[in-house]
Amino acid sequence: MVEGLLQSQPGLLNFGIFFLLATVLLLVVLGFVTYAILAERKVMGFMQLRQGPNQVGGRWGLLQTVADVLKLLLKEDTIPKLADRPLFILAPVIAFAPAFMVLATIPLTDHLQFADIGVGLLYYIAISGLTTIGVVTGGWASNNKYALLGGMRAAAQMISYEIPLVMSVIGVILFAGSLNLNDIVAAQGEQGWFILWQPIAFLVFMIASVAELNRTPFDLPEAESELVAGFHVEYSGFRWAFFMLAEYVYLFAMASLTTVLFLGGWLPPFDFLGFIPGAVWFALKFSVVIFFLVWIRVTFPRLRADQLMEFGWKVLLPVALANIFLTALVKELLKLF
Amino acid sequence: MTVTGELIAFMSLALVAVIGGVLLLNLTKVVHMIVALVFTFVSIAGIYVMLSAEFVAAVQILIYSGAITIIMLFGIMLTRHNDTSEPEEGWIRKTLLFIGVLGFAVVMYIGVYDLDLASVPNNLHENNTEQIGVALYSKFVIPFEITSVILLVALIGAIVLAKKDDEKEANKE
Repeated sequence: MVEGLLQSQPGLLNFGIFFLLATVLLLVVLGFVTYAILAERKVMGFMQLRQGPNQVGGRWGLLQTVADVLKLLLKEDTIPKLADRPLFILAPVIAFAPAFMVLATIPLTDHLQFADIGVGLLYYIAISGLTTIGVVTGGWASNNKYALLGGMRAAAQMISYEIPLVMSVIGVILFAGSLNLNDIVAAQGEQGWFILWQPIAFLVFMIASVAELNRTPFDLPEAESELVAGFHVEYSGFRWAFFMLAEYVYLFAMASLTTVLFLGGWLPPFDFLGFIPGAVWFALKFSVVIFFLVWIRVTFPRLRADQLMEFGWKVLLPVALANIFLTALVKELLKLF
Repeated sequence: MTVTGELIAFMSLALVAVIGGVLLLNLTKVVHMIVALVFTFVSIAGIYVMLSAEFVAAVQILIYSGAITIIMLFGIMLTRHNDTSEPEEGWIRKTLLFIGVLGFAVVMYIGVYDLDLASVPNNLHENNTEQIGVALYSKFVIPFEITSVILLVALIGAIVLAKKDDEKEANKE
């Protein structure tokens, strides 16, 4: 359906259809964020031997997040007197817009994708880097030392962990021979999932992606025990919700990207299971990745800032580089036999 | 001239790029200027996409988003908070500048208007990345390697400078 649209003649009608589809995607993502937050709190609750939300919306707390969002919308919108007003308002937008733009290239199934870009993988990594600018801007505009420290940490962390992230993906690109996410999934159909071929890359990618997502072992920009709340100390109400929304939309995007790169996207694990539609497979793998990310968050304690930098530059980067070398070697050896 | 989608896209991207550039010059706070710069760079990346140079566009954003963040950190750390740059006043200076800008505009207009680039049929839009890779590693391999060596020298130079500073600090204590 979308494929036909992507290759059709551009026009106003086409533009309208895409606009509508994007709105639908936004609503779907908002729905996902609502229940991802609930699921995260539930899983965290079970892992910490407590209940999690269980009051609003029945036994499972199904309306808890909805109530939270309603509370955020009704909250007074405060802007500190000495804050830099225009940047303070602009920062959540700069942080959120790339998070949603990134979703365009991710192939959810073989028919459902919004943009089939040749450099899809690079597009994802490039655009996701823009969010940091929003975070640093927000930290600076708040005119608060904790916020500024959080923003600085976010910048340092993004720069150090983006490099191992890109380097770990190079192994996958070498095997697939393309930067296009569709081609990468297709290559996994022929060669088997890349998590089997690239276990080291998968490990490095997972660690670096948790760091890029600013989640718990690496959530120094918002470390509440040191920085009150990090870069969004001064934010409240709807603007704060935007930062949180950006974070969870990235969770969606990163889990989708992990599924596409390493877990075979919408492809079934075995051929005889092919009768189950691709969307179901994608959703299953995607949920497993999300669960894994929540699990990491509950299990690990937060790193210290200097440990974070040291780990990124002295461990992850050399490992990722060695993986590229190994991958090239394996690829050449496979060609010989 | 007919209004096509391409024209609208180009015009809006160009407008954002130019406005970003003008704001970069006219705003007074460092961080505001850097945010204006972000808009310029991103819309230039959009123009690259329109020229079917998608790889260059992605790399532009990839490199500049990191670079701008660093510039922003420098701006925050190396300037005083709430420091603003005052525009230099001067009537003669302004007139001279205006004449200079006008002259530049006229020269560019004349230069670009009569420019007749022989349109070579190309297939740059398909397998853009692959074509760049093949060109870099076959035709331009020596300049490419020399660039990487120069970058390495700069990197090592930076490390040496930073290290020296560290030792001095240690000796002081």
